[in-house]
Amino acid sequence: MSNDVKVSVRNLTKCFGDLKVLDNISFDIKKGEFICVVGPTGCGKTTFLNLLTRLIPQTSGEILIDGEPADPKKHNISFVFQEPSAFSWLTTQENIEYGLRIKKMPEEYIKQQSDKVISLLGLDRFRNAYPHEMSVSMEQRVVIGRAFAMNPDLLLMDEPYGQMDIKMRFFLEDEVIKLWKATGATVLFITHNLEEAVYLAERVLVLSAKPATIKAQVPINIERPRKVSDPAFIEVRKQITDMIKWW
Amino acid sequence: MNAKTSKLRDLALSVVSILCLISLWLVLSSSRPDFFPTPQMTWERFIELIEYPVSKVSILGHIWASLRRVVIAFCYAVVLGISLGIAMGWNKKIRAAVEPIFESLRPIPPIAWIPLVILWFGVGEFPKILLVFIGSFIPIVLNTMTGVALVDPMYLSVSRVFKANTLQTMIHVVLPASIPAIFAGMKASLSSGWMVVVAAEMIASKSGVGFLITRGSESYDVALILCGMILIGIVGALLGVVLTLLERWLCPWTTKKEK
Amino acid sequence: MDNKERKVMLRLENIAKSFYARHEVFDAVSDVSIDVYENEFLTILGPGQCGKSVLLNIIAGLEKPTKGTVDFPASSDTTMGFVFQKTAVFPWKTVMENVELGLQIKGTNKKERREKAQYLIELVGLKGFENAYPYQLSGGMKQRVGIARAYCVNPDILLMDEPFGALDAQTRYQMEEEVLRIWQAEKRTVIFVTNNIEEALFLGDRIVLLSACPAKVKEIYIPRLERPRNNIDPDFLALREEIEANTDLAL
Repeated sequence: MSNDVKVSVRNLTKCFGDLKVLDNISFDIKKGEFICVVGPTGCGKTTFLNLLTRLIPQTSGEILIDGEPADPKKHNISFVFQEPSAFSWLTTQENIEYGLRIKKMPEEYIKQQSDKVISLLGLDRFRNAYPHEMSVSMEQRVVIGRAFAMNPDLLLMDEPYGQMDIKMRFFLEDEVIKLWKATGATVLFITHNLEEAVYLAERVLVLSAKPATIKAQVPINIERPRKVSDPAFIEVRKQITDMIKWW
Repeated sequence: MNAKTSKLRDLALSVVSILCLISLWLVLSSSRPDFFPTPQMTWERFIELIEYPVSKVSILGHIWASLRRVVIAFCYAVVLGISLGIAMGWNKKIRAAVEPIFESLRPIPPIAWIPLVILWFGVGEFPKILLVFIGSFIPIVLNTMTGVALVDPMYLSVSRVFKANTLQTMIHVVLPASIPAIFAGMKASLSSGWMVVVAAEMIASKSGVGFLITRGSESYDVALILCGMILIGIVGALLGVVLTLLERWLCPWTTKKEK
Repeated sequence: MDNKERKVMLRLENIAKSFYARHEVFDAVSDVSIDVYENEFLTILGPGQCGKSVLLNIIAGLEKPTKGTVDFPASSDTTMGFVFQKTAVFPWKTVMENVELGLQIKGTNKKERREKAQYLIELVGLKGFENAYPYQLSGGMKQRVGIARAYCVNPDILLMDEPFGALDAQTRYQMEEEVLRIWQAEKRTVIFVTNNIEEALFLGDRIVLLSACPAKVKEIYIPRLERPRNNIDPDFLALREEIEANTDLAL
């Protein structure tokens, strides 16, 4: 893995009127890195995400991608939200190809990307199915496939597995790791679930309560596939839990 | 920008748009004021209207005449319409039996009933109230029915687990849950009723704001026509505001989140 | 455990439930038999959309089983409280009005039911919010109202249907601790449905694991773990992995 910095967040601050939500946040994401962001409930994770997607302007500070200010027109930022958002009028394959078509990629490349993602997800049988013919988890996998197929500069995921049962969650988490390894994407994954963060991330960013600052950056050097009952896993999970426990 | 300044900005924009409308009126009316009186002429006619009764009824008397017809008919429509709407929304058999009647009557504009009602009942107060009732009854029934039929089944389960009887379920669950739909129906019904009363008064009446317009038309008093139209607009808007305030007072839980 | 000695509050025998949709028959529950004992905290665990909520609705009398019987051997007049998912708190009633509703329907006089409701509102930690409407409360607080409302009729059996499913992982931990605290203060027979293994294991005296649709009892686990349980304790994690391995994946 290279050490090039892909995304650089510098002194990011956001206020709504007198209310300071984010306070002077700085961190780097390396190319091809998988980062999880955790923090206590209500700490401003949503605001943080909205800044990264450029939905709202920051009060001060900057977000750089490849050394230039992040710009949705120039950079390729994809998202996956908690609620599946596959286009209901498109089939699995058309959904996965959608972003590439918007970017006017060559037909051959589109075909190659969608075939790769569909085979990684094992969705061959559902290639021509519409979202309403699939379960919620299946639809979410299509959305995740669509995001990875874009070869994004930065892939933002906001609790995509929030409502799934644990068996399903581990299945999908293993799948997202597989996609990430195969595509080399740079991923920032936001979650409330500390176990999920430790299971997925190469590095966990721990935010403090409002106004959010970066409380710690915890590297996770546990071999994959990880096991939640592994003592090293338990140790890291406990360390992060103690940092944010408010309940 | 904070909430206060953005509110001020929105208010300023509203004032500007009304001023634009009046300017347009000024420009358009300046060429043929006998066909289209200027704002100033209309205002003077309005002052005159306050001082000199039309057909021996003062301006407030005319407004009251129209309002009275609407309010009486509306009260009947609300009481009967909500009851029937609840029955139809709650009981599938009643709905199956009654809904086709409403669906076939609904496309007939209430104004189309005027000739028939005048033929049957003459030109007194009752036929006008009946016409307004016809115009305002149907929206209330259909909206209430939809609201009741769409109450979240989980809310009904709560009431069943507590072993509530039908009356208790109505009072604690069904009615409050469908209040937004009922109020939407009441607003539609009131504005429909107001339209019908004006139409009825224009055809056969000696009082009311609709009568003012007809009188203006018969005597080439164009400014009086405009006065009547503006009055209709203002009173109609006020009626809507009254209902909105009533809803807010009755249903504090529908107040939007203050963050 | 000497289950024979304990009073059986609820007996499910060979419960099955099928739904008829157009020309298809869909089996949600098939042949479930469980005894539920007095004052036990029973969690029913099942993957995705299996028939676990249907089973709870059958116990509550909201749905009729296609086959089998629901018995209350302890008393023919068993009262039940039901905690639904968060949206079931009535938005048009204040916290107080929501909580006292069950007693109001029973016809309890105002003074008595207000006293009881006030006690429960304080027990669930909502003192000061008696006159607030649900839109003014967070998700976790709404579910506290739901719990207090169910408790207020003094139920013999408390049924909870994925009450924390819509909450975030951290608020969920907080609410799990809360529900145990309330249960320890006001012991009841609790039947708690969830799809979350960690939650089932943190809460349950016994854990009934259901299969994917149609739901059958796959296994009943009795965790030998001291309360308060610790979700990163090795024994806890070991049992969690055992249950996980035995759970059906419902894609």
